[in-house]
Amino acid sequence: MSGILLLTRAEINRLRRNRRYLLFTVGLPVILYLIIGRQATSKAYGVEFAAYYMVAMATFGAFAGALNGNSIRISEERKVGWIRQLRLTPLPANAYVIAKILTSMATTIPSIVIVLLLGRFYGGVHLAAWQWLVIGVIIWLGSTIFAALAVAVGYRFPPDQVQPITMLLYFAFTILGGIWFPLGGALQTIGKGTPTYEAVKISTDVIGNVSVPYGLVLGLVIWLAIFAGLATLSVRSMAEAV
Amino acid sequence: MSHRGTGPVVSFENVSKHYGSLKAVDGLSLELRRGETVALLGPNGAGKSTSLDMLLALRKPTAGTIEMFGQDPYHAVKSGSVGAMLQSGGLMPEVTVGELVALAAGLHPRPVPIATTLRRAGIADIAGQRVDRLSGGQTQRVRFALAIAGECDLIVLDEPTTAMDVETRRRFWSSMKEEVAEGKTLLFATHYLEEADQAADRILVINRGRLLADGTPAEIKQRAGAKRMSFRLPGANESLLVGLPGVVSLETRNDLVQIQTDDSDATLYALLDAGHRPSEIEVGSLGLEQAFLTITAEDDQANGHEPVPVQ
Repeated sequence: MSGILLLTRAEINRLRRNRRYLLFTVGLPVILYLIIGRQATSKAYGVEFAAYYMVAMATFGAFAGALNGNSIRISEERKVGWIRQLRLTPLPANAYVIAKILTSMATTIPSIVIVLLLGRFYGGVHLAAWQWLVIGVIIWLGSTIFAALAVAVGYRFPPDQVQPITMLLYFAFTILGGIWFPLGGALQTIGKGTPTYEAVKISTDVIGNVSVPYGLVLGLVIWLAIFAGLATLSVRSMAEAV
Repeated sequence: MSHRGTGPVVSFENVSKHYGSLKAVDGLSLELRRGETVALLGPNGAGKSTSLDMLLALRKPTAGTIEMFGQDPYHAVKSGSVGAMLQSGGLMPEVTVGELVALAAGLHPRPVPIATTLRRAGIADIAGQRVDRLSGGQTQRVRFALAIAGECDLIVLDEPTTAMDVETRRRFWSSMKEEVAEGKTLLFATHYLEEADQAADRILVINRGRLLADGTPAEIKQRAGAKRMSFRLPGANESLLVGLPGVVSLETRNDLVQIQTDDSDATLYALLDAGHRPSEIEVGSLGLEQAFLTITAEDDQANGHEPVPVQ
């Protein structure tokens, strides 16, 4: 276990130096919130726009960081043979993937915290302590769904294919998840099933202090099960090809 | 190391690895003993890398058993008994050489001091550089550092000196000797015959996934059975020369005759008895390279394959 933590620490140190990663997880959500967060006065999903946009941007940073930060890197590290090299160390075979997910969970925390602080002090969102905690944790745990998806994609495909696949997933889950603007009409019918929508909607329901439909929480759990299953399949099928 | 008992360090028992109809490794059996430096020699595609991959638990054999220190390969690797450097092994990008070596040492149950590893691998001067900005030779040395960052009993190297210049290669082998002097077993794959000849005390020649020869460099040369003989003989008659006892092959260029023979004495006496007086007579052993070519060519011919050229 200590080996996995050591590897995780090394991974976190790498990510901290990676500007692209910082841009996706912190830069973009913060900039978008500064530009748009206070513009609209309408309500979205039953709460103030500033509150909706805060959880949307926190989800954005966390999911984009988990997806973009991992899929391409995993694919590249498989290509250069780093995964293979790690297999020659005393680390257990699954250590690489576990460390990636732990790293992703550790590095999404600051991005979520920064956006929530921005919502509180720039967007004027006032919530009870338990509400802050619940939305933070929901978004944080929700991001692991995308860390699992990144493993599934990054482990299976070479870097030149992972790049477009990741971008496609990124835009699909952003737009259909109602991250950049609240969903309505036909788009909402389609987007309702996405994990990004579910994370945002659970959070706005918590903020609006209405009861959260079980279906939304169950949806997140099902997505996690599907992507974790796909990730396991990818890792197993590539066992001799790392 | 003594706590490992006295059994073989590595044993392959009738190991095969098939990819569809391709037999990358085909019924390979061998044993490595403690403290040996063994070269795995073979042309490209002979099954060297596949054999090492199976030994290191990166691939599973289609058939047969592999043991390391009496354990299955996976558990032997996970116990830290093996330090390995593969051609295909890569480095973690975006970190410095020093950080990476520290990580490798930290992951090992018996870490070697980082300064020692850096010195042995000859990378102390580049410890602060980022691993994704190194030259090919430097990268190769960092890979070697990762293999020796922990105390291990067996070192496995796949084509370790590829991409190294002559001077780096020389330094590499001298630091390798330091490791072996501590009683470690060393197995390395190479297609540099000179390297196998100088560094190994035992050579395993493999071709098409099978073991063709197993012995000291001198034995391998002898196993090819032939001696090399050359002399000058104006007006040499090829049909006469081929008819001499012991001649395996013959090459003439103007009056220079080069003969490969499995009985150089008989060949020479017969030539003299026939009344010829050649000049500049030289008789010598075949180099390892010719021995290797002879052994693999015999095998290829016996199996109806085109010989594989040596790089």
